[in-house]
Amino acid sequence: MPVTQKQVEEPVGRRRILLWLSSVGLFGSAVLSAVSNLVFIKPRATYGQPTRFSIGKPDDFPSGTRISLDVKRVCVVRDGNKLAAISTTCTHLGCIVGISDTGFACPCHGSRYDQDGNVTGGPAPKPLPWYKVSLAPNGEVEVDKGIQVPPGTYLNV
Amino acid sequence: MRLALAIASFVVLIVHGAVFYDQFFYRWERHQTAYFEQARALTKNAAEKTELENRSPKIEQYIVTNFGETRVDRCGTCHIAIDDPRFAGHAQPLKTHPYSAAMGDVERNGHWERRHKFTDFGCTVCHGGQGRGLETKYSHGEDEFWPEPLLGYVTQPNWRKDFAPKLKGKEYMEANCAQCHTQQDFAGTPHVNRGRKLFYAMNCYGCHKIDGMSEGTLGPDLTEAGKKFKIDYLWESIVEPRANLATSFMPKFNLSEDDVRALVIFLKSRRGVNFAETEMDRYKAHVANVPVVIPPGTENVKAGEQLIAERACTACHKLRDKDGGIAPDLSYEGLIRDNTWLMDHFKNPRSRIPDSIMPTFRFPGDDFDRITTYLVSLKTPPPPVAPAETFKTLCERCHGEKGDGNGKVAWYLDPNPRDFTKAAFMTSKPRERLVHSIQEGVPGTSMPPWKNVIAAQQVDGVLDYVLATFTRDTLHAPKARSIPETNPVPAGDNSVRHGEEIFLARCTGCHGRKADGKGPNSLDISPKPRNLRNQFFVDSVQDKRLFESILYGVQGTAMPSWIDYGLTRNDVGDIVNFIRSMNQKSRSQQNAGN
Repeated sequence: MPVTQKQVEEPVGRRRILLWLSSVGLFGSAVLSAVSNLVFIKPRATYGQPTRFSIGKPDDFPSGTRISLDVKRVCVVRDGNKLAAISTTCTHLGCIVGISDTGFACPCHGSRYDQDGNVTGGPAPKPLPWYKVSLAPNGEVEVDKGIQVPPGTYLNV
Repeated sequence: MRLALAIASFVVLIVHGAVFYDQFFYRWERHQTAYFEQARALTKNAAEKTELENRSPKIEQYIVTNFGETRVDRCGTCHIAIDDPRFAGHAQPLKTHPYSAAMGDVERNGHWERRHKFTDFGCTVCHGGQGRGLETKYSHGEDEFWPEPLLGYVTQPNWRKDFAPKLKGKEYMEANCAQCHTQQDFAGTPHVNRGRKLFYAMNCYGCHKIDGMSEGTLGPDLTEAGKKFKIDYLWESIVEPRANLATSFMPKFNLSEDDVRALVIFLKSRRGVNFAETEMDRYKAHVANVPVVIPPGTENVKAGEQLIAERACTACHKLRDKDGGIAPDLSYEGLIRDNTWLMDHFKNPRSRIPDSIMPTFRFPGDDFDRITTYLVSLKTPPPPVAPAETFKTLCERCHGEKGDGNGKVAWYLDPNPRDFTKAAFMTSKPRERLVHSIQEGVPGTSMPPWKNVIAAQQVDGVLDYVLATFTRDTLHAPKARSIPETNPVPAGDNSVRHGEEIFLARCTGCHGRKADGKGPNSLDISPKPRNLRNQFFVDSVQDKRLFESILYGVQGTAMPSWIDYGLTRNDVGDIVNFIRSMNQKSRSQQNAGN
């Protein structure tokens, strides 16, 4: 009965291949849609101000000054050749902290910080974060609020 | 079945893959990766090198809130090197935005510093385009439905091919500069300044309104022209006024290409009320600002001639061989009008011809004097020729070559020129009246008195020519009718009130509630019903003619014979008193106003 066996076997082989092809197709599209759904969860565009921004030339910040940029919510500290940016958003409830003789002071609930942003009093739970500062190719200083650096990290300009 | 399933599942996979690729692999990611690589090669700083290695492509955007609605400009996503001076010689999109001292950028210690920082100004404030777009087609505004393509860089596919190339060039961006730099003669916007001068010099202001700059009402309001129209439309409207609206009566000014460009840029900069330009003083200063330079010692006649040429009067009027094709011929003005008439007409064109469309121009008073002096000096009559010739040179422009009142300027005249082919009208009037109309003109209309231009025998000749050629009938003897020579009803309050009642009941359908000839039926009637508030016309017509027209109708027009509809002689007398009193009243108001 070799003839009949061949007749049965052939369609089975064909069926296998077709089955295999369809599963690859369907499974592949399932994987692709899963991946695209996962990618969609995190939007590419954000609607806030950009986290990376330029604050001007290093010369705009003379040595020994602490200049608070309220719109950007950072305080630029310049000491000799060293430059750093400290957040001025209070870690308690998000008010803008002001510069005081001893460091920073929050007008809302009286939190106090020292020159480096460490908490010295009031309800604030955490020290003020320091942000990454870099020098852009056009000679301006860029602050990236998306990247925090350990306190005491300065940029040499 | 299985084969179909296999094929279908593969098609689904391929479509899925294509969508996935399209959605998650952007051109801008490639631009950014290329930038990171090249910048890494350029830098010697180890820290910057590692930083560049860690950077991954992401959407860069400037959020600008200072200029009207919040702008989100993502141009820096592709053009990521705009602020990196090392890429100055690079090809787009990775090219440094040029620095320009003219724009206020300063070079200090080898570094340029921008006056207009991208963080403060964004990109679209100056360039136009669609800031949020992440694909060239959308972000550059190449899509034909985007109202503001990159000014001066991008033309949209549906723009007219014949002048689309002329719509490219940096100078178009001045229209955006002028949004903030509104000062007159701001050095950075020479084209806007030139366009503004042209707006006055070419008399555009006579017809078009721009808030704070002009008050014309004949043409469209251009206060927000820059907001409403793209530069392609503006160019087309100046070069071919009838391209978009077949009935437009804007003249063709035949400006040079540079002038058109300056006007387009100026108009593109008009985007609504500009607080710097709302003062009336500024407006007046403007008009005085565009003087026609007349060499000292020029006599007024010469100066007037020069003014007519440089104030674009012949864009509408005819003067010798220059013909704008909109307004009457000025070639024999000295024989037709006198000083007073011309000065009144200049100060307010509607003071002499109540339905004139001529704009009120605000030239300095001296200029009016000079133009008047020149026009009055035009006292050379045309040589006496055959009646057909005379008709051609003097009458045809209004009455048409077929004599049907459809000459090339007829459309712009109100009332319309007489249609000579209406035999019923032409033959029912006594010859003296027709001759009188030619010799003395028709007051309050554009028909001027010709008696000084053509001699009396010539008038007869022309009239015979008209009757023979166009009317194709001879005059009938007027029918015997009983018409009083003067109004038998004495004028008085009661009579006027009764006349008004009849007028409102019977006449307003055509002559209008204001008696201005613009009643609801007037649209379908030719010739148009008479404007009965045209005081110059009404005053020139004697009671006898009013009685005849009302009682027995005007043949060849829609005016019926009211005696057949039950109006008595006394009723008509009341109507005549009403019409006369109405014009009396408006005259005394005018005098009080002066």
